[in-house]
Amino acid sequence: MKREHMSHDNFSSSGSCSSSTKPQMWTCDADDELFAVLGYSVKPSDMADVAQKIEHLEQVMCSVEKDGLSQLASDTTHYNPSDLSSWLESMISGLNTTPDFDSGVNSSAQMVVDSDFGSDLTAIPGKAVYPNPREKPPSPAKKLKLSAPETESSESIVMVDSQENGIRLVHSLMACAEAVQKENFKLAEALVKNIGFLAVSQAGAMRKVATYFAEALARRIYRLYPTNQDSAFTDLLQMHFYETCPYLKFAHFTANQAILESFAGRDRVHVVDFSMKQGMQWPPLLQALALRPGGPPRFRLTAVGPPSTDNTDQLQEIGRKLGQLAESINVEFEYRGLVANSLADLNAALLDRREGETVAVNSIFDLHPLLARPGAIEAVLRVVTEVKPAIFTVVEQEANHNGSVFSDRFTEALHYYSTLFDSLESCGGGSDEDRVMSEIYLGRQICNVVACDGADRVERHETLAQWRRRLGAAGFEAVHIGSNAHKQVSMLLELFGGGDGYRVEEKHGCLMLGWHTRPLFATSAWRLAS
Amino acid sequence: MAGSNEVNANESKRVVPLNTWILISNFKLAYNMLRRSDGTFNRDLNEFLDRKVPANAVPVDGVYSFDVVDRATSLINRVYLAAGETDAPWGIAELEKPLSTTAIVPVIVFFHGGSFVHSSANSAIYDTFCRRLVRTCGAAVVSVNYRRSPEHRYPCAYDDGWAALKWVHSRSWLRSGADDSRVHVYLAGDSSGGNIAHHVAVRAAEEGVEVLGNILLHPLFGGQERTESEMRLDGKYFVRIQDRDWYWRAYLPEGEDRDHPACNVFGGRNRSIEGLSFPKSLVVVAGLDLVQDWQLGYVKGLEGSGHEVKLLYLEKATIGFYFLPNNDHFHCLMEEMKAFLHS
Repeated sequence: MKREHMSHDNFSSSGSCSSSTKPQMWTCDADDELFAVLGYSVKPSDMADVAQKIEHLEQVMCSVEKDGLSQLASDTTHYNPSDLSSWLESMISGLNTTPDFDSGVNSSAQMVVDSDFGSDLTAIPGKAVYPNPREKPPSPAKKLKLSAPETESSESIVMVDSQENGIRLVHSLMACAEAVQKENFKLAEALVKNIGFLAVSQAGAMRKVATYFAEALARRIYRLYPTNQDSAFTDLLQMHFYETCPYLKFAHFTANQAILESFAGRDRVHVVDFSMKQGMQWPPLLQALALRPGGPPRFRLTAVGPPSTDNTDQLQEIGRKLGQLAESINVEFEYRGLVANSLADLNAALLDRREGETVAVNSIFDLHPLLARPGAIEAVLRVVTEVKPAIFTVVEQEANHNGSVFSDRFTEALHYYSTLFDSLESCGGGSDEDRVMSEIYLGRQICNVVACDGADRVERHETLAQWRRRLGAAGFEAVHIGSNAHKQVSMLLELFGGGDGYRVEEKHGCLMLGWHTRPLFATSAWRLAS
Repeated sequence: MAGSNEVNANESKRVVPLNTWILISNFKLAYNMLRRSDGTFNRDLNEFLDRKVPANAVPVDGVYSFDVVDRATSLINRVYLAAGETDAPWGIAELEKPLSTTAIVPVIVFFHGGSFVHSSANSAIYDTFCRRLVRTCGAAVVSVNYRRSPEHRYPCAYDDGWAALKWVHSRSWLRSGADDSRVHVYLAGDSSGGNIAHHVAVRAAEEGVEVLGNILLHPLFGGQERTESEMRLDGKYFVRIQDRDWYWRAYLPEGEDRDHPACNVFGGRNRSIEGLSFPKSLVVVAGLDLVQDWQLGYVKGLEGSGHEVKLLYLEKATIGFYFLPNNDHFHCLMEEMKAFLHS
């Protein structure tokens, strides 16, 4: 199929572009194209076999009791349903290994029983997983500080605001970006001033987004580039973002689920965390490990973080607190903080791989900044492979903000952050302060994507499809996240999501969390390819 | 080995291309696992298994899409438009001007199928179908993400359809035409979507909202009686009567039977539509669909009420024939729809 644009599949053009792998459609045994657009990967040469599997399953299913089938479906964990062949295969084995099927479903130990770890995580009232019980979020009337009724229109478009001024605003932003692209700075200047006026007439999310993008454009036009971001402040902002909406909680939860599963039956485990920050991810994992049948493993945590800007040693402090928690729940705990300006400064020796240990490496939003320097991502991925992790959990923004053409980057970012801000408006979590800080957190990202370039432009988000290519090229293969995690996330969203626009979707064995129909964050898990 | 099922598998395999057979059988398999005999439904697993695609404001093969959310109801409409030469810069939908000031561009309000329970507007099978509609029929398409059963029973889907119709009519940027610039609305749907299209059209006719035509693709109608086609084709081409029954029980109000007016449209419990300005209809019936007697009865009912209807009977077609463009039925359907929309 010819395409004007290969939507989210553009290769980025940073210095660290991955080596080109041939697009699938040029190889002989590519996926069937008709199936591919419907979301399934089936090779033409496999079709007869897939059909046979279906027929086999149909025949077997006939002999199953009334609700045996739906019981089987509920108890089994499903993975990567796009790959029809393997999905069907997993169901065939699921049915075959269950004895006495005719007399009702017997959840045999051989079927993948999923609920243990998940129920542990939900049972634990860890602060890190659930928001603090707070007062109800302020009503809209309070926010406006007037007794006037809600002025926001009741209809709004995910992509583009339907109100007249909203459209003009978006057009002006786009036109300004186009002018900047063409280096017509006189025109850009005129447009950016106009945007300011239009933005004021908007309400809610659109106004905030437009204001941030306009400011970022102005910085680019006037060359008033933002100074280097203070990482401690960014961490603080991220904490507020964590409280306001479920995206980070989702990321931690899903990554922990994958880590827990990879630690099953292991006595000595080592987590290497590239994204320590305030250590929010680890209490629930420690608690789940403490409660697992057979008892907890010996747990070692190596946390990587930037140097502190004040006199405190943040990294050590957090490690100490985690140590106290571990002790209180009887988990043997060893901790080491590694200070590094960049992950690229790490080497495998520093991470101290020990015989007999099962290693998990964890990165939440810490891979994309490496794309700002040539060679950095390759170096880091190499170090990860040298540590031989059983699992490598990766969470990234689901967007391509790293294209080589400025106006394309701008447009992608405009859509992405509009959706994200929209969800902030609607979701009920956190205090007013949390929400304002979250907006600033996102605003700084917008500024970086739009106003910066070269080594300073660190918000080089790329899509899951792009990361899959990079990680594949670096020698990793996907560890599929299954329907059990999907179900638990859905449940948690319902309980704690704070708004009913959140959606979790499965794609290629990874989970994505988004707002309505737009995925915004993707969690994936990897291991070394055999 | 269950002998009759072996025969069935072979029979259906003879009449559809292999990949269509795989696609529909896969759905059938998954759906069998999701329905429970007590009427409940494994919604989480359904959503996990459903292949979804995001909207794409970048034209792909000449078509781009974007989603519109009604903040009050969280309902989503996915809009599909043909990319034109005069479009605003890449990625932005030109929402200030009408679709055309010279020609008439039909706007299809589309209701996806799934027996009121499965699928969404952003399901890959329906996203792909709507894109093909835009390309082949030269229309704009608005796909409605109506609320589904068993969580939301009758009349939720009809209410959502009605809201979508009103919304479409009120969009200045969906207008077309030289002298009489307005939104040229058609309703369309497959399976449960066809059922929704009918009921929304009735309400439109009763309340004076213009609908220029209805396109019903093997629409879901039924009744308490077991018709000849149901008994003859039970289980033979992907669908069993018991499946159909389950979906009606999940959609209709509790305690109701299939002679409920939502299901048995001309069964006597509905107000007559005679004399109403009901739109012309194109009803497509798949010859291997067990529900066809009800669909043919629907056509007769329309004729009997004095309304224009064209029947497209595709003898050797099974349900879902239009998901893949690899057969004559698909191309025939596209040609008929195109003619219907531009006549």
